[in-house]
Amino acid sequence: MAPSVVRFPPRVLVFVVSAVLVVGACSSAGSPSTSGGAPAPAASQAAASGATGSAATGQVGGQVTVWTAWGGNELKAFQAVLKPFTDKTGIQVLATTVRDFSQLAINVDAGTPLPDIAGPPNPDKIPEWAQKGIMKPLEEILGADGWAAYSKDTNPALLTIGVVDGKHYLEMVKTQVKGLQWYNTKVFTGTPPKTYDELLAIKPPSGAKLTCVGLESGDASGWPGTDMLANIVMRQSGPDVYTSWYQGKQPWNSPEIKAAYQLFGKFVSEADVYGGPNTVLSTNFGRAGKPLFADPPGCMFLEQATFIPSFFLEDYPNLKPKDDFDFFPDPSINSQFDGNIEGFWDSFVAYNDTPQSRALMQYMSTAEAQQIWVDAGGTLAALKTITKYPDPIFAHAAQVAADAKNILPTAGDQMPADMQHAFWKSTLDFTNDQSQLDTILAHLDEVRAASYTTQ
Amino acid sequence: MDSRILTAVGAVVGIPLILGGYLYLTERLLAATSLRTQARIRPYVWVVPAVSFATIFMVLPTLNTIVLSFQDKTSTRWVGLDNYIFFFTNSETINSLKNNLLWLVFFTGFVVIGGLLIAVVFDRIRYETLAKTAVFLPLPISAVAASIIWKFMYDYQPPGQVQTGTLNAVIGTLGFSPVAWLINSTTNNPALIFVGIWTATGFAMVIISASLKAISSELLEAARLDGANELQVLRLIITPLLMPTLTVVATTMVITALKVFDIVYVLTAGAYGTDVIARQLFARLANADYGRGGAVGVVLLIAVIPLLLLNIRRFRQQEEIR
Repeated sequence: MAPSVVRFPPRVLVFVVSAVLVVGACSSAGSPSTSGGAPAPAASQAAASGATGSAATGQVGGQVTVWTAWGGNELKAFQAVLKPFTDKTGIQVLATTVRDFSQLAINVDAGTPLPDIAGPPNPDKIPEWAQKGIMKPLEEILGADGWAAYSKDTNPALLTIGVVDGKHYLEMVKTQVKGLQWYNTKVFTGTPPKTYDELLAIKPPSGAKLTCVGLESGDASGWPGTDMLANIVMRQSGPDVYTSWYQGKQPWNSPEIKAAYQLFGKFVSEADVYGGPNTVLSTNFGRAGKPLFADPPGCMFLEQATFIPSFFLEDYPNLKPKDDFDFFPDPSINSQFDGNIEGFWDSFVAYNDTPQSRALMQYMSTAEAQQIWVDAGGTLAALKTITKYPDPIFAHAAQVAADAKNILPTAGDQMPADMQHAFWKSTLDFTNDQSQLDTILAHLDEVRAASYTTQ
Repeated sequence: MDSRILTAVGAVVGIPLILGGYLYLTERLLAATSLRTQARIRPYVWVVPAVSFATIFMVLPTLNTIVLSFQDKTSTRWVGLDNYIFFFTNSETINSLKNNLLWLVFFTGFVVIGGLLIAVVFDRIRYETLAKTAVFLPLPISAVAASIIWKFMYDYQPPGQVQTGTLNAVIGTLGFSPVAWLINSTTNNPALIFVGIWTATGFAMVIISASLKAISSELLEAARLDGANELQVLRLIITPLLMPTLTVVATTMVITALKVFDIVYVLTAGAYGTDVIARQLFARLANADYGRGGAVGVVLLIAVIPLLLLNIRRFRQQEEIR
């Protein structure tokens, strides 16, 4: 910039220069100054790992660093889980909230230290990091007994994820179920539909529409739509097509995927969705359920995961779960593929093998730790042995998870980042103009060709 | 935690210490040589820290970006021009280029012409400071905050519901149905560019206004006495005299238009045909695709270089006049 030249008065320059000189003079007079800041973290790390005393006794001491993506209530719940651990072992847990886990990959590329424990990297990095030993296998970290207990009691569908060469790397600590149709119990009083056809045939009260959908979510806009699509694909074409689809082996313009978009299209069509496509695209996913409880109601159903009641309660603090709102899981499309549900989970990976990180990993796999999480509300345990839930909605969701044949991962989360973003965006473009489906699918196939190639 | 504080303190205290120590030491060494040698060597000695900082933090990363742009996603294999071919054949990047062109023409045009008109008009009104403050006010607001303000302004609710977005509320009282400003493909790019104009016009106005005050009033009076009307004064006297300033403002705005990111990212995240090059660059980096990300960066750099050269030339000409 500097269009009209700004001239520093000479006095200012003299001041700056002399300040530098004075500082310089001090430095030569006294302390050697070369030890800037760089060695400090390394030193403290050495101190941390140097403090690894006797691990056999209950009191271990020392520190363990953890990165989580949690803030707010989720972070509070995590701190509640950690408290008995620190009390018992004397290990201080340094938990940092890191919103963007690509920081892990940046640290690996740059060779800077990783946290002892953090969430997993993007799925496409898992095989490479496992083989390079960046991630430590649970079979080692949990010890023989710990591994045996963990693998026996954890929901089996969760044990198939993050496996490289027969070793498990992702310790599952909580889970959520997606693909639930939420409704206002005063508005929908019938029995849950058995099939999607029955669902779509339900007549809403006059003035209301069948569904409410909100796809806006900032940079991740469109993800609620991809969940709706994923639930259709697994029920319409089964887990094999579903898996090869997110692995990039199933073309987007294949009849299976195209049919899924077409069925999804009914849920966001001018005729059936509250406010029409423009409202779907401008409404944040958290606010999408508001018309369920409006008077008169704007719609009958909102498809969303187990976390959504907290948003209902922000808008209508007096609602009571089960009495005022409830859900039924997405119904059947092809009876051959019943019992597949979509879920997601929170997991931890050990990046450094220290007595402290072992102790914390072992602790988080126990029923003791996971019960604290469950009691804090808003989540299901990864252990199938936990059945005590504070809230009837979550007890119901735990039942859905227990009855499921397969808990399939969120398709988008398993795709390379480029593909996932394109997938999110495709639901926006399709909602905006359903006649563009073939162009949209062709574009997704272009991205598929480009994004699954290198590694 | 404490290790990071140590690092920060070390950097803040240590780097000036090292710099000061360097200057002190080199001065001591120079003192041992003859005065003539000192005069010849000293400028180089003093310029070394600045040049090395610029090299480490600007030149090396630029060179590294250029290298990365010829490699694959994970920077392990050479792929020749593949990333550039991708850039110029991919429908998303082409669409982004088109949108940057829209930004370049309309954002720059409206900001420069708007800034000029406002500066000239406000020069003649009584409450000049107050009026200028009003136009200048959006500038200190960070682009993200400004975008969020406009997200509320453009908010859309279904027809028949209470319109919480200011714009839709206004057109609602006039009897029009609400418009999804950020989704509708005829309104979304203008809506985004308008946010840019809203934030930047104040800057252009202040710079132009300062130059305007420097034009001597005798010159303008002489023109008026010679029979020029106000429009002629503006067109034939003021504008040519302001030309160097207008060029600088315009090139700055062109660069801003080329690298626009925050407004688009916050308001639409590039959906519905509003994507721009800088958001493409961000998306590639966030997806750890350093090859294609590097290529986008290099194209952006090449696009900006002529403008930088133009700015530097202007700057030199101004210096010569002095």
